[in-house]
Amino acid sequence: MGGCCLALLAAVVPLAAQTDGAALFESRIRPVLAAKCYPCHSSRLKSPMGGFTLDTRAGLRKGGASGPVLIPGKPEESRLLAALRYNDPHLRMPPTGKLPAEVIANFAAWIAAGAPDPREDAGTPGAGAARAPAIEKGRAWWAFQPVREMAPPQVMESAWPRTKIDAFLLAKLEACGLKPSPPADARDLIRRASLDLTGLAPSYEEVAAFAADSSPQAYDRLIEQLLASPHYGERWGRYWLDVARYAEDNQNNGPTNPYYPYAWRYRDWVIEALNQDVPYDRFVELQLAADQMPGVPRDQWRALGYLGIGPVTHKDGRLSRDVLLTFAADDWDERIDAVSRGLLGLTVSCARCHDHKFDPISTQDYYSLAGVFASTSAVERPLFEIDPQTESRFLWLEQRIHELTYVANLLEKEPGTKPAESAAKAARFHAELRTLQAEVDALGQRYPELPKEIARYAAIGRVGMAKPRSEDAPFMNAVYDASLWVDGSDPDLTMLEYRPGQARDLPVFQRGNVDQPGPPAPRRFPAVLAKAPDAAFRSGSGRLDLAQKIFTDAAPLAARVMVNRVWAWHLGKPLVGTPSDFGAQGEPPSHPELLDDLAARFIAHGWSLKWLHREIMRSAAYRQSSRARADCERIDPTNRLQWRMNARRMDIEAYRDAVLRAAGTMDESLYGPSRDLDAPGNTRRTIYATVSRQTLHTIFGLYDLPDPSQHSPGREVTTTALQQLFVLNSPFFQQQAAALAGRVSGEPDRKAQIRALYRRVLARDPGADELDLAITYLNRDPLERYAQALLATNEFLYWP
Amino acid sequence: MSEKLSRRSWIESLCGGLGAVGLAGMFAPEARAASGFPNFPPRAKHVILLFMAGGPSQLDLFDPKPALAKFAGQRPPSVDLRTERVTGGLLPSSFAFRPQGQSGIPVSELLPHLAGVIDELCVIRSMYTFNPTHNPARFLFYTGSITTVRPSMGAWISYGLGTENRNLPGFVVLSPDAGYSYLWRSGFLPSEHQGTYFNDAETEPEKMIRYLRNTQMDATAQRRQLDLIQVLNRRHEAAAGPDRFLDARIQAMETAYRMQLEALDVFDIRKEPEAVRAEYGTTPFANGCLLARRLVEKGVRCVHVYYGQGQPWDDHKDIHANLVKRCPDMDQAAAALIRDLKQRGLLKETLVVWGGEFGRTPVSENGDGRDHNPYGFTMWMAGGGAKGGLAYGNTDEFGFQAVENRVSIHDLHATILYLLGIDHEKLTYRYAGRDFRLTDVAGQVVRGAIA
Repeated sequence: MGGCCLALLAAVVPLAAQTDGAALFESRIRPVLAAKCYPCHSSRLKSPMGGFTLDTRAGLRKGGASGPVLIPGKPEESRLLAALRYNDPHLRMPPTGKLPAEVIANFAAWIAAGAPDPREDAGTPGAGAARAPAIEKGRAWWAFQPVREMAPPQVMESAWPRTKIDAFLLAKLEACGLKPSPPADARDLIRRASLDLTGLAPSYEEVAAFAADSSPQAYDRLIEQLLASPHYGERWGRYWLDVARYAEDNQNNGPTNPYYPYAWRYRDWVIEALNQDVPYDRFVELQLAADQMPGVPRDQWRALGYLGIGPVTHKDGRLSRDVLLTFAADDWDERIDAVSRGLLGLTVSCARCHDHKFDPISTQDYYSLAGVFASTSAVERPLFEIDPQTESRFLWLEQRIHELTYVANLLEKEPGTKPAESAAKAARFHAELRTLQAEVDALGQRYPELPKEIARYAAIGRVGMAKPRSEDAPFMNAVYDASLWVDGSDPDLTMLEYRPGQARDLPVFQRGNVDQPGPPAPRRFPAVLAKAPDAAFRSGSGRLDLAQKIFTDAAPLAARVMVNRVWAWHLGKPLVGTPSDFGAQGEPPSHPELLDDLAARFIAHGWSLKWLHREIMRSAAYRQSSRARADCERIDPTNRLQWRMNARRMDIEAYRDAVLRAAGTMDESLYGPSRDLDAPGNTRRTIYATVSRQTLHTIFGLYDLPDPSQHSPGREVTTTALQQLFVLNSPFFQQQAAALAGRVSGEPDRKAQIRALYRRVLARDPGADELDLAITYLNRDPLERYAQALLATNEFLYWP
Repeated sequence: MSEKLSRRSWIESLCGGLGAVGLAGMFAPEARAASGFPNFPPRAKHVILLFMAGGPSQLDLFDPKPALAKFAGQRPPSVDLRTERVTGGLLPSSFAFRPQGQSGIPVSELLPHLAGVIDELCVIRSMYTFNPTHNPARFLFYTGSITTVRPSMGAWISYGLGTENRNLPGFVVLSPDAGYSYLWRSGFLPSEHQGTYFNDAETEPEKMIRYLRNTQMDATAQRRQLDLIQVLNRRHEAAAGPDRFLDARIQAMETAYRMQLEALDVFDIRKEPEAVRAEYGTTPFANGCLLARRLVEKGVRCVHVYYGQGQPWDDHKDIHANLVKRCPDMDQAAAALIRDLKQRGLLKETLVVWGGEFGRTPVSENGDGRDHNPYGFTMWMAGGGAKGGLAYGNTDEFGFQAVENRVSIHDLHATILYLLGIDHEKLTYRYAGRDFRLTDVAGQVVRGAIA
């Protein structure tokens, strides 16, 4: 549970180096106590050995059943030291083996120094506070500074820049003695831009027309055309879904964390919003708080899936309150991570157990964000208009009925050793269920869909992974303001309780332990980012406050993070090498002025992503050839300075889509429920395939789809033989190759067939030797195998 | 490094002399592994983990407690026996224990075959872990954390040591149940280190490995097709300019082609002599154990073998009948694996680890079952530097809580890594702003369990 990084036990530093008593305790004594003594001598144990606890200052000072063990200042009279030294055959600690002499010496020195024990300040976040970078100092961090437009630097080759971006890049190239690459040819450029903006490769005709168009506006027109395509949202939506760790279920879909039948509606919302170029600030605000923003139609609340389909742990009612509360805290932690790394490039989750070791984020900050998510509950909200009171009651009823059904079923199925008690409890729950059912029936008079949804959800509590009634039912996986409480009053059965409209502030859970609540942590924005000292959230759960703070107080950071992501998606490499960590442990930007300038102008242009696309794609840097140049590679092998365009391979979405398109089998319709990638006849674009946290599809696993159980800063790209087995042997490729061959079989002769295949697959005509090669091959082998070979080529999957 | 290479070429010769091109990296052409490992001379080069999902009962298998009979049905006040579920009085084991082998370690009558190899086993009777629920405890067992997104132990090992046979994955998972895939993920480690899953309920390789066999072409026709693809690929690369990805994919295509034959051989346990198969048995778990040996022989670093589907060892009720049903094939196959490895001289460099996510309570649940018990349970290690014929640590008089020489799940991880020559504090990966370890901030190598 203690998420931390340094093995304190490992290093034994000379004590002379230690001046501060508290630091001595924290670095040399406490880790040993925790590792070696707490297992038997902790106040958290039901019966600590010898009645002695040393996880609190008081316990350590008091001693055990046989009296005090520690006399500050007098190591030789302290029995603690005798025990560690194994002097007394009846008192040797720890029993697992004598500690190294240096460690024992540390204890002796510590006792001699008066046994300083900073744990007496039990009400504060602990000694970590001293280590946390001070807020004021923290505010000076580069990523938190305001962004402003920069004057472009002077360059020698002043004819090269096409946009402001280029000046920043060129200045650095020149400083390193490098020259940019020549422009890509028209074929590569239209392929690059089309894959980039729509995820679809251009057809033969599109390539030919673009290559033939010599007008200076041809490229700008192409960009506009691509940005206007509805396929743009499908492409960029998928990028966003990696950030949002989109999936449609949980790792173990249990009775209390079943899968999300309406997750696809969130995916569709993302596609629509991007197509409409909803400003990025609003795009994010809607995902955190659409239901609390004035004038937002209910249909747009689908955006709440960002929080509503996050991974959730199963909470077995037979587990203790502390265990279930820890599980709930894990869920909140995941939301903090998705929001902080995903939207702010900050690793706030590091501060769950202690203040962040490197960034100015305290446990107070952490728990003040956790409170927002502890006051927010994932539910299925109606898509149709419904008055707020009725809806809130419906949501509570759905949760309560599910919980009662679940625990009643648990007690009946496994009555345990107190069958009479279990039966009595179950009967009580059934009685409550009957009462509630009357209310549900009444609701059904006005809203006939509601009882059906309640029944569906309750059934999952009884049987576990139930199939959805229908993924088309008019609901969305979203969130509403209801705090979660864990009721541990019954030692045999722990229950979850939801309180709609009642927000809760969490305490700091000391060292991340839910059973060690510290001072309260009112919901507010992290102190280092907040502009006003009193930034307490006041409306409801605080989701809307949070969303707004991101784009007011933290706007420079939020803009930098998104600009960096978009840059990486366009150019194949980010400016900041750690796109989800802009903190002290992250990488510094390769071009800080460029990043700041773009971020400032992104904000000035109303956070328009389409503006940002244009700005980047019109640059000379983007239009460079991707061909390698030996002289530059020697100086900058990773192309950090952008002396060429980065060549890539298509990701699995673009590859599979390209195969379907070449074969002429693609169903290009937009939106709708997901289907398994392998479902018979599934020829829709890959973004519409089911994404499961429980069993990620083999093909997604093979082709680097990031684990959807957590926010992903970016995709790995691997090239493996198992991928090639899919290409060479899978029914998918065989079927598509056959369909592709079928498309051209009507051509008058072999050569015409081959030419038609080249045009469909590679968007060009074959050369004479390629024709010869094909004809030779086809003398022995059938056309569909040739078609498959073309689909398997590097050229087809190359993204220049 | 040179040792790795020579070992690799030795394996190559075993695999039927694959050419140099065969090493281009079937599974990991861009293997982004850690460097500097092993930190010290390893005792083991491979790990086979036999996983008993559900939590097998230490009290009925390896940890006899006469006091259970003495206080049968009672709940002595000296120990707080409370667990998560409602339990009754102490439930004595219905199985007899007898001292076995030179070491005289007592083993339950349920495990006659393992009793026969007891002098190879280091039976750790003082295991404990930190969560009483299956999934979190399994995450702890596999990743050292109850957080669900950390890399699996096998991924850490693959990341640390790389693979010896680049035509096979470094980390293989054998199970009839793919549902646990979240336990063998690479988390934030590069994805080539994730466990590659094969279904050991099947014995035909083409059924175990997706897309392994082409159903439309024989090998010669496919060679012709591949030759065509590669000619086109080389032409393309000549035009597009040199590119690491383009090269890698050309190589990956070749290795994929050869793998169809190689894997058909390696993964085909039907090629083992009848006598060997008879030693192991014919259940999925037996297949898994035998296949694990074949894979280790071919240089696979880490093999996890799961017993059965779901969580079979979760005996909340009727534990007697369940164990009688479940133990024989587990016992036979696990013991056969130890003997077989030993016979081939592989046991000294292969660490075998057996256990579940936790153990079970000495008190009864539902009358004739036992509840989850993370406070004290048994696992064993064999080979690879583990001290055979040793019973390490002890639980209390009822077998509830580990009290002597306690070994946490982090300690076990540290020890496994130690035997592989890895300092568990040095095997780190920088992610989301900090260095992560398999052992988080804990873990002590259990020196007493090492030969």
